Amino acid sequence: MSDERETRLFMISPRSMLTPDQLVRMVHAFGEEALVKETCYGCLVEAPREEALRILAKVRETYPNEVFSKIRAYRCSDPVRCRAQHGTRPGFAQLEEEWALLAKIQYGLEQVDKGATYVKKPEQKKLDVNAFKKICEVQ
Amino acid sequence: MKIFIDPPNSLVLFDLVERFGHEPLSAMAAIQERVDNLEVDMPPMNVTLDDVVKGLKYAGIEVPSGIRGRMALWGPMIEAADAAIIMDDCPYSFGCVGCERSNLMVKYLIHRRGIPVLHVSYPATDEEAVAFVAQAKEWMEGLK
Repeated sequence: MSDERETRLFMISPRSMLTPDQLVRMVHAFGEEALVKETCYGCLVEAPREEALRILAKVRETYPNEVFSKIRAYRCSDPVRCRAQHGTRPGFAQLEEEWALLAKIQYGLEQVDKGATYVKKPEQKKLDVNAFKKICEVQ
Repeated sequence: MKIFIDPPNSLVLFDLVERFGHEPLSAMAAIQERVDNLEVDMPPMNVTLDDVVKGLKYAGIEVPSGIRGRMALWGPMIEAADAAIIMDDCPYSFGCVGCERSNLMVKYLIHRRGIPVLHVSYPATDEEAVAFVAQAKEWMEGLK
């Protein structure tokens, strides 16, 4: 069963100028028979797995670094989860925190596309005892 | 390759792993399996007696039930993983008995398996995010 359906969450980076409405219209314009639900952070897409992956590929093609996606365990409007149906499983705290992080990740992806590479940070050395004593001494 | 992500429900890690051509092993997939396949229509619907038995493999009976419940979901994924990516110091990944001990247990099990592991810290600035993305990309490309 889980191979048959896939509910995907598409979240727009706060650094992007894209709106959830534009994203939903774009997904509808693909002509796939997926269920699309607009949300405050982007949209939810529910479709058979292959179709959902096709939609993801098309979205990435247009907005490679601005839209992020992960799968969602519950269906769209699941009565256990959905607020509209008084669902009992609140849990947007992490999504909210990660939404703020997406701006930085978008910047990171753009810089990596431009050729940025990983440079290891020099390890922080331990503070010398004498230096520490000097800091502690009352002048 | 199958890459276990920690925190297991992280959007950023899930997206990056998929973006760079690997299969993320996440909490969402494990929960989806239970949501779709269980013939239970009343809460609690994500922990069953079978899960509790599975969890006993990783955490004893005297261990808080929260750890056992989580390990029932995450333990089999860690066993199936070919590599793992761990994000340290996430501001939303904390807790006391159940949550934090589960996080420690997950890290311990990953290291005990001896699979390739990438430790990254939660990026606080744009520069750290560039380093994080570049490091994750280079590491995942090296796994192929």
